[in-house]
Amino acid sequence: MKLFGRQITLFRPRSIKIRKVVQIFFFVLIGFISINHTLAESGKGIAFLSDASLHALCPFGGVVTIYQYATVGTFVQKIHESSFALMVIGFVLALLFGPVFCGWVCPLGSVQEFFSGIGRKLFKRRFNRILPAKLDRVLRYTRYVVLAWVVYMTAASGTLIFSDYDPYFALFNLWSSELAIGGVIVLAVTLALSLVMERPWCKYACPYGAVLGISNLFRVFKIKRQESTCIACGACSKRCPMNIPVDTQKVVRDHQCISCLECTSEAVCPVADTVNYSTGGVK
Amino acid sequence: MKLKSNVLAISVLVILFGGILLSSGLGWWQTESSKEAATFTEGEFAGMPNPADIRGSYTFGDVQANFGVPAEVLAQAFQVETSDPAAFPVKELEAQYEDSAVEIGTASVRLFVALYTGLPYDLTVETSYLPDSAVQLLQTRELTAEQNDYLASHTVTLDTLAAPEAAVETAPVVEEEESDTFIRGKTTFAEVLSWGVTREQIEAVLGLPMPAENLTVIKDFVLASGLDFESVKTELQAVVDAR
Repeated sequence: MKLFGRQITLFRPRSIKIRKVVQIFFFVLIGFISINHTLAESGKGIAFLSDASLHALCPFGGVVTIYQYATVGTFVQKIHESSFALMVIGFVLALLFGPVFCGWVCPLGSVQEFFSGIGRKLFKRRFNRILPAKLDRVLRYTRYVVLAWVVYMTAASGTLIFSDYDPYFALFNLWSSELAIGGVIVLAVTLALSLVMERPWCKYACPYGAVLGISNLFRVFKIKRQESTCIACGACSKRCPMNIPVDTQKVVRDHQCISCLECTSEAVCPVADTVNYSTGGVK
Repeated sequence: MKLKSNVLAISVLVILFGGILLSSGLGWWQTESSKEAATFTEGEFAGMPNPADIRGSYTFGDVQANFGVPAEVLAQAFQVETSDPAAFPVKELEAQYEDSAVEIGTASVRLFVALYTGLPYDLTVETSYLPDSAVQLLQTRELTAEQNDYLASHTVTLDTLAAPEAAVETAPVVEEEESDTFIRGKTTFAEVLSWGVTREQIEAVLGLPMPAENLTVIKDFVLASGLDFESVKTELQAVVDAR
């Protein structure tokens, strides 16, 4: 229907359903591979499924081993060529689509969203708005501190120091002897915080998210808002899991955007063709 | 050009799995370390695999591929009951023999393989024990008097899992899996430095200057320098333990 000369779509889907499907797919896939890795160690692995370790399937492993590979020509312990390949694939995806790995693939992000779904029902309008804006703005950069610490410590020691604190590793090793108490604590805190805010780990601590977030400055496909058709309802900003004020920007270049597309006219924006994911300039 | 969510989803899947297929085709998709043992660099055994390089992550099948010792023989030697001996990880032996008074593990497999194949192995560097089932199999091989003497005092009776008396007296405190400061095959110079050992101490053990890059794996450097890793490891471990 038309309202004040603008095309308004009633009963628009409130979220990108295909994203949920992709997220569940990767969560299940990584979960099965992790279980199969444990089974394979005792000779009971499932033949048709990969039994690779979680380290071998983590693109961030490629990032932390760059220094050692460049200086010595070897990988950090437990990191293999596959991590390097995934790192390159992740960069290609980020160059084209932004941190789509975070918003669509990362199982830890998916689990946080699941917990946030519960939190949203519990806390309603207060959900995802608990931190004062100033504090929140500063804390958003702590993930770069984490990134610097992880890269430096890995380079200095030649060991995968982060795995002892990595909630992603802990999540898929809860049944394994490789489980580190530090990782369990960080995972528990992350999931608890997910009940009051969206993606706390991604916003404040994820070092891989910090790397991919930089791609928001130059990615090919960007979130763009047409000012000429925008009705300033603020729905896009309210829906954004990363609290980005989409309704004040023509092009979203915020380093925290995860390309989830939840703000677009395909999802929450009530006006057709107003918030789009596209290349080219802005009208 | 606008992109809808369905197209983005397909693009992500195609690029991700297409990239994995491509890297696999190019030989870049390796999800585990190479299971190829280091070789002797000099002497009459130059070019042959070194039993001292057998690691816990190897399976009996990997040992067979490297040294020609059948996985079934290894399973028989170490009394491993499995339908697929080739898939049995060497590191699992420690769990199987956890009740033993002395450690039967990766070092035991190194010793067994060396004696079974006749490849060189320094018996003074690493104290290793073998179950009596392994020793019985070795009786069919040509062993030197020194090796026979060693086996006589380093055999564990499986029925009781008791160590020989001499062995109990000299049994080493096993710290490999518990200590964070134990030198392993992948330990780097940077790690040893971080444990408080000085560059000078390391170079004294090596008998030559350390590499410029601290992240170099000690074992790689030692083998590339023509040194015996087990000897260097033992001496360096003593320096680490004495801090």
